[in-house]
Amino acid sequence: MRNRYNFAVALSTVVLLGCGALLLSQNVSAAGEGKIAGTVKLDGTAPHMRGIDMSKDPYCVKAHATDPAHMENVVVGSGGALENVVLYISDWSGPAQPETAELVFDQKNCMYTPHVLAMDVNQKFKVVTSDQTTHNIHPNPNPMTGNIPWNQSQPPGAAPVEKSWKAVEVIPVQCNIHPWMHGWFVVVKGPYATTDASGNYTINNVPPGSYTVTAWQEDLGTQAQKVTVAAGGAGSANFTFKPK
Amino acid sequence: MRTTLQNWTLLFGSAVLLAFPAAASAQLSTYDIETRIGAESHVGNVTGHAKDAALPYRRYCVGCHGPLGDGNGENADWFLTPMYQKPRDFQLGVFKCRSTPTGTLPTDQDLFDAITRGFDRSNMPQWNTLSKQERADLVAWVKHYSPRWANEKPGAPIQIPPEPEVTAERIKAGRDVFARVQCWKCHGVQGMANGPSASTLTDDLGRPIAPFNFTEGSRPKCGDTDQDIYRIFMTGLDGTPMPSFADNIKPDEAWDLVFYLRTFMRQHSKEKDLAKGLGLKPVDPNAPAPAASGQQ
Amino acid sequence: MHVTRRLRMRNFVHFATSLSAVSLILAALVITCSQPANALPAFARKYGLRCSACHESWPMLNYFGQKFKDNGYQLMNDRDAPIWQNPGYWPVTFRITPIWHRVSTGKVLVDTYSSGIATPTGQAVQRVTSSGFDLSGLDFHTGGTLEKNISFYVLPSSDPTASFHFETVMGRLDNLFGSPWLNVKFGKFELDNLLSEKRILTLTGNGGIYQLYHFRPQGDGNIFGQMGDNQLGLEVMGHSYNDRTRYSAALLSSNDGQVELPYGSGYTGFFTASQAFDAGRAGVERIGFYAMVGEAPTTWLTQTGPSGSTILPGSGIGNKSFSREGFVGQFYFGPHVDLTVVTQHGEDNAWFGQGYGDFIDGVATANNTTGTTLPAGAQNPTWNGVLFEPHYVYSPQLIFIGRYETIRMSQQANGSGSATPTASNFGNISTYTIGYRYNPFMTSRAGFAWHNEYNWLHQDGTGPTLGLTSANINTSELLVGFDFDF
Repeated sequence: MRNRYNFAVALSTVVLLGCGALLLSQNVSAAGEGKIAGTVKLDGTAPHMRGIDMSKDPYCVKAHATDPAHMENVVVGSGGALENVVLYISDWSGPAQPETAELVFDQKNCMYTPHVLAMDVNQKFKVVTSDQTTHNIHPNPNPMTGNIPWNQSQPPGAAPVEKSWKAVEVIPVQCNIHPWMHGWFVVVKGPYATTDASGNYTINNVPPGSYTVTAWQEDLGTQAQKVTVAAGGAGSANFTFKPK
Repeated sequence: MRTTLQNWTLLFGSAVLLAFPAAASAQLSTYDIETRIGAESHVGNVTGHAKDAALPYRRYCVGCHGPLGDGNGENADWFLTPMYQKPRDFQLGVFKCRSTPTGTLPTDQDLFDAITRGFDRSNMPQWNTLSKQERADLVAWVKHYSPRWANEKPGAPIQIPPEPEVTAERIKAGRDVFARVQCWKCHGVQGMANGPSASTLTDDLGRPIAPFNFTEGSRPKCGDTDQDIYRIFMTGLDGTPMPSFADNIKPDEAWDLVFYLRTFMRQHSKEKDLAKGLGLKPVDPNAPAPAASGQQ
Repeated sequence: MHVTRRLRMRNFVHFATSLSAVSLILAALVITCSQPANALPAFARKYGLRCSACHESWPMLNYFGQKFKDNGYQLMNDRDAPIWQNPGYWPVTFRITPIWHRVSTGKVLVDTYSSGIATPTGQAVQRVTSSGFDLSGLDFHTGGTLEKNISFYVLPSSDPTASFHFETVMGRLDNLFGSPWLNVKFGKFELDNLLSEKRILTLTGNGGIYQLYHFRPQGDGNIFGQMGDNQLGLEVMGHSYNDRTRYSAALLSSNDGQVELPYGSGYTGFFTASQAFDAGRAGVERIGFYAMVGEAPTTWLTQTGPSGSTILPGSGIGNKSFSREGFVGQFYFGPHVDLTVVTQHGEDNAWFGQGYGDFIDGVATANNTTGTTLPAGAQNPTWNGVLFEPHYVYSPQLIFIGRYETIRMSQQANGSGSATPTASNFGNISTYTIGYRYNPFMTSRAGFAWHNEYNWLHQDGTGPTLGLTSANINTSELLVGFDFDF
């Protein structure tokens, strides 16, 4: 009898909470939004990043005359801070994120800046070039997901290419003319963040609730943590990757 | 390296998966495919039906393209040299020869033309002996392999202005376009497929691929008319390193470039004669890149 | 094999009748045992196409295979030259067919014995039936390109005892001046028959050839008009890019493909052209015509000497003419059913009709009558024939085959003015064949077919007449076997 009573209470609570969460998520109010912040670190010796031989294109060589280019698969700062890790809520069921900052993927000195560009589904981003050499921007998603590969050239001074992706996917992007140029479009649903040079990140616009935060690193894989965010509060999730 | 984030249980395993390069991407089962057996194609006044193409597909195509249309037929592994491209994976719905912009589906006519024309320097023959109906049925069959056709419409074919008269000025202007957008990075300054990046090219599935050598005397993959060549660089060859230049070459300049490209080709042409008269030198790969057309 | 296959019938009707029965059995055996046909896994391996891409059912070509052949065994993808192939690739295919068959010939003249007497006491006509396991000859097909637009084909073919002859030896210059309309072939090759006997789908003795392609009136001395045999000569052929329009013209030596000069000079022309039409859902329909017109030398033999008759070079009564012409049609009725029709009107010169001919067939006395005057009532033997071959293609792996052929003499060599006029139906042939070929697998590496076939042939007046009013002869054959090539 008592058990049944408890169960009923629990059930109604869950239902209420669920309805509340739904309501909240449908009307995201600035006051109710929380955030998730943390740091991503590498526990161990940073893997060696090979230098890049750009001799195929003299322009690229010149651009890196004083600052030799290296691969950017695992970029580690002081204290093991991991850059370019994408954090997102993998069990997100809320609405799409409002377009805030303009997303720009720059081809600069024959490298991609940033190396990893995270974005929401259907969020617009721009591909621009700052170089005096022709690039081709060639993302290679799996068409099975609904994202369609395309391939466009950007000669010097070319106008920006504005695009978006339809489906959640980690999409490699490359320049065939400069085969070392390799970057990522990480398309997720919901709020996301990318770690900075200190390994710090903040996912904004998170309504109160319990979430699974996933950290993605291109070489080291993914990790997930459960995080609870109170109304207007901040959840915290720190991740530590081991070198492979 | 293609990972769908929606399935996050998969993601935990993806650290392992990421260690492997992307292999064949076929993921659809026979059941998935059969749901689309009603696919149709419309080529001219002929309507093709996928259901009528099962037999011809088995007769002509399956040895290379495979029963699931994923390009894994019994012969797929035996096309070894980089010049031989592996058979197309129809499930991906990504096609080289289109009249539509990069990233869009080709029209039924594009697929029909590809079947009719075949692909030079590959093992895809010309199927122009088949009846029009049979080819249209096969187009529908090709479409039924990819879910893309159920969710998307083909792109709008690019507009090709009428071909202007070939003049020496146009050929010179074409050479400037060739230099500006740096076609030579892959195709070489003389169109001999020996540009600095030529040896490193791979297709979307990570397989080595060679740029087109204009001087060999063979036909371009997507057809040999001036319009066909125009289309190639204005739509890009999806699935290959060849990008679309639609944003960076104006329609009029595109014709100039077509004429200039003709001067590389072994086949005799008016363009070749004119270029000879001009004494045109190949573009200088070390010259600073010319200004973009938008800034001229 | 060719020599024995074409056992000559005797000039004299009465003599011929007993021989023809035997010859039918022999021909059945011999032809069954070596049926050179072109189905090349060598090409399938080279291009990675399944047998079914080029063959409606191997070895019969479909339109795609026909175009491949017309292009000089090239896909025209700029990778046809052997320089693009793996150096280990060698374009060779073997084909052989182990079979079991049962041949039953009505009306064979046999000896009869009385009890206790060791020597024959008489003759009787009876049906002879034999059956057993058997083997075809072996074909070594080698063909392909030597360089872009230079093709070749060499086919050493053996009979079941491994005695070889050259069935095909030819070089071909393809797409001259960059045009598919001009290709030149030189050597020994198959005539450009739309319905190719070298790609016949049947294997029995009488059903494994097209009677229409080999027909001669009884006692006729002309062996040269056999359009089913490979011929020595030069062929110019051309076709449209999609092969819908085709033509070919060949100049041939009048020696029926025998690798030796005839005694004299005789040439034959073979012309054919066809046009195909896209008939929507039904498929692609093709109609055309052929004409074989030629003359061949006649030769005499010496009078019989100690070692038999020998040839008298430069003898004979000069060149005599012959002709074969007709229409061909290939009609498709959707993806499963098709019908091929060939007609023929044939005529030989009266001299041939009287048994004058060339020594080249190796049968000495049968067709080398001496003399310079035609007997009274001699006239040009003339005939008409038609062939229907329907197919039901259940799938690329299973085909059902039917065929009906009939040939009717319209004018016998010995007409009403002759002392012994020939019956008007003498030598008429009717034959039908039914069968199926089942390929348990279909790849681009090898071909393997389970073959089952039945043939029935009827010929008027050629059976032994001993004590019988009717000398019509019926022969039937049942055959099962594995037909494979690799």
